[in-house]
Amino acid sequence: MEKEQKKIPNVLQKETTRRGFLKGAAAATGGAVALATVGAAAPKVAKAAEPERKPLYRYLFAERQNCTGCRACEYACNIYHYGVIRPSVSRVHVLKYKNVVDVPVICWHCDDAPCIAACPTTPLAIQKDPKTNGIILNEKLCLGAKCLKCQEACPAEFIRVNPDNGMPLMCDLCGGDPECVKACLAQSGKPQGPCLIAEKLGFGVHHAYRNVTPEEAGEDLLKLLFYPNKSGERR
Amino acid sequence: MAAPKGGYFGKILEIDLSKQTAKERAVSDAECRKYVGGAGMGAYFLTKEYKAGKNPLAEDAFIFVGVGPLNGTYCVSTRTSFVNMSPYTGLLSHAEVGAHFGNEIKWAGWDGIYIKGRSKKPVYLYIKDDKVEFRDAGKIWGKTTEDADEMIRKDVKNDYARTAVIGPAGENEVPFAAVIIERFRAAARTGTGTVMGNKKLKGIAVSGTKAVPVADNKKFYPAAVAAKQLAVDKEAWQGIKRWGTAGLLELKHWVSGSLITKNFQTTWYPDIEYIGAEEANRRFWKRHVACNHCPVHCMKYGVISEGKYAGLIAEGPEYETGGLLGSNLGISDFGGMMALIEAADAYGLDAISLGGVLGFTTECVEKGVLTPADLDGIAPAWGKAEPYMELIKKITFRDGKAGKLLSQGVRKMSQQIGKGSEAWAVETKGKEIAAHDPRGDKPRAYSYAIGTCGGDHHEGTNAEELARWAMINSLVMCSFVGGYPWGKETPGVFLAMLNPLCGWNMNDAEYWTTAKRIITMERCFQVREGISAKDDILHKRFTTETLPAGPKKGAIFTAEDTKKMHDATYSYFGWDAKGIPTEKAMKEASLDYLIEDIKEARKKYKL
Ligand code: SF4
Ligand code: SF4
Ligand code: SF4
Ligand code: SF4
Repeated sequence: MEKEQKKIPNVLQKETTRRGFLKGAAAATGGAVALATVGAAAPKVAKAAEPERKPLYRYLFAERQNCTGCRACEYACNIYHYGVIRPSVSRVHVLKYKNVVDVPVICWHCDDAPCIAACPTTPLAIQKDPKTNGIILNEKLCLGAKCLKCQEACPAEFIRVNPDNGMPLMCDLCGGDPECVKACLAQSGKPQGPCLIAEKLGFGVHHAYRNVTPEEAGEDLLKLLFYPNKSGERR
Repeated sequence: MAAPKGGYFGKILEIDLSKQTAKERAVSDAECRKYVGGAGMGAYFLTKEYKAGKNPLAEDAFIFVGVGPLNGTYCVSTRTSFVNMSPYTGLLSHAEVGAHFGNEIKWAGWDGIYIKGRSKKPVYLYIKDDKVEFRDAGKIWGKTTEDADEMIRKDVKNDYARTAVIGPAGENEVPFAAVIIERFRAAARTGTGTVMGNKKLKGIAVSGTKAVPVADNKKFYPAAVAAKQLAVDKEAWQGIKRWGTAGLLELKHWVSGSLITKNFQTTWYPDIEYIGAEEANRRFWKRHVACNHCPVHCMKYGVISEGKYAGLIAEGPEYETGGLLGSNLGISDFGGMMALIEAADAYGLDAISLGGVLGFTTECVEKGVLTPADLDGIAPAWGKAEPYMELIKKITFRDGKAGKLLSQGVRKMSQQIGKGSEAWAVETKGKEIAAHDPRGDKPRAYSYAIGTCGGDHHEGTNAEELARWAMINSLVMCSFVGGYPWGKETPGVFLAMLNPLCGWNMNDAEYWTTAKRIITMERCFQVREGISAKDDILHKRFTTETLPAGPKKGAIFTAEDTKKMHDATYSYFGWDAKGIPTEKAMKEASLDYLIEDIKEARKKYKL
């Protein structure tokens, strides 16, 4: 944890890149539909295209108060990885908390990656792709249902288990161009702005945002949105 | 019997609550193609399995929780359909509701859930893919819909399970009880909550991990993306995105002159500025909420910030809830209105019927045919939320004189009260009508008077629309995203998705034949129960009293309007002048199995 906090100043120096990014993201969504046409075939297409012109995002963020609970992010994640809709194996997932707020649960691509630190295999079954920062699962090495140390270690409770093979569902950032972010912007952008955001830099918000469980995030959100000045007690 | 190639799993989950057993019922590709799903499939089961005069609360009466082929696929905004014979009207009824419940049924691998029988003790169902559990609902019985939903998800230890529950109103078998989904979404107008209460079924929780099979994904996916893009781009939705359906409250007051006001005495309600969308936006709304994969997010959640109800979280106002429990009751206190809306959701009542009952009661008191003494000392008066809140509690628990009287609904109330009260007992086919005054909004009369269930606002505004909506309700699509924006292109947009999804080659003609079949099939059920042209009418308040003020001042629904509506609809669907499907029309729609029934009904009711 300490290690990561040291990084914060570094990151803040580049604060202005955020606006630049937003422009870039808006431009990227224009192509969202065309790019995602054939489901399972999409990954290959993405890799084959000229790499330097592709956006390369290394982190995901969630402006949770903007989430409408539409689950377009889950759908997009499904289409990219499987070509069909099956939210039980979507990486990102949306928790309806008390049926009042929706909490998109995402992977923060932590710089200290507690999930990877907890993985007992050698070589590691989960590793960060050095280029995209996405977490790649090697199904041949993963011990699956009898281990799941990564799931235990993730402070954001992001990791869910694939019901088919008992292995963890890790966010690979879709090769650097997160589909969930594009889907979120494309359909939930108005009037309140998108919820999911992709960034090239981590900004060090991880600890405030990451080290909360989805339920805690839900409780926070409930207070923030509905009881800004009160103790949060509900009638 | 060929199994479906895609879009369907080819099996419906059949639950028997008496024996606490679950089994599979196969549906063939041909059946799916003929009856589609949701409302259509439900009507098929109802017409086939029931004989005329069935008791809707019999032990073997069933509820069909239907989904369509598009549920659980990439297609946007699919819903859930509850179909049953309504204990309120004694007619076939279907209610469509949004949120994520229907998709979860699909992901659990089912094309619908068919529930019959009656449990001895309160139970709820937990359906996890192929596994069905009958779980004890003893502790949950009596809880509000909000608490029941939370408790069920805790009990099954699955935060991602989706539920449909009833509140105390359903448990007490109030005839217009609703099923509530995700706390704020109501499947109402059908008495489904009543039937669930009668079956001692507190709720259904579903969690699924499967994917819907797609016959040709290469073609289906782009079509679904294009359909979604239509919804995203559609200019009309910018308003709904921003203002929800609450925006219509102001619109229908200022422009269309069709805002329900004080039990349809008028449509002019300047106080709408205190309870409409602008006020909600200023003081109440905190977030926009969408159903599954929906770009429109028409729902708005908010919290009351001051006054008696400070801190209360509620959803709305929507056009119907804000109309029926707002302007209909002359309310100008925003917090009070939201409290009434939230009470309807929490107790599991149909807000439209509830509003109708409260409006009627108030007019009875106003005109002196009811006194507070008849209402356990409660004195309802326009604009006062407090007495209404008291009455809602009475209705929910059928408590005291007031509860017993009001929980019967407007038609039976006025029969009991007499004294000319039928002149303002506004209902159609025994059901209170929604918030659009048909004098200001004449096309709405099709939906109210001829639409299958009676009194509903969601069944189309001319003959062709009735057919189009039958299809939308059977595909179980949202009435916004699936209904309006695609206008006349509807079949094209749907067929582009349906054909590759299901491996069909349906064309426009077959699409319309299917739509007509569903309407005619539903109609046959109603005819067996004695419905004919004489019932396809609006209440006499709309045909004898003119609108006293507002943009449509002087408007009235004339006998010619009624005749025009009948002629247009009956000829479009091939029904005779009495509104009975002809043998030819039934043969064309391949509904031969109903021909005998209709002959009998003609004899019985001398039609
Ligand atoms: S610990 Fe959790 S949030 Fe952090 S990188 Fe691993 S999976 Fe993502
Ligand atoms: S489940 Fe697999 S990835 Fe997770 S810690 Fe165990 S071996 Fe590593
Ligand atoms: S970035 Fe890609 S893999 Fe990660 S949650 Fe989003 S869509 Fe799924
Ligand atoms: S797409 Fe965006 S708004 Fe919709 S559920 Fe996901 S995070 Fe929330």
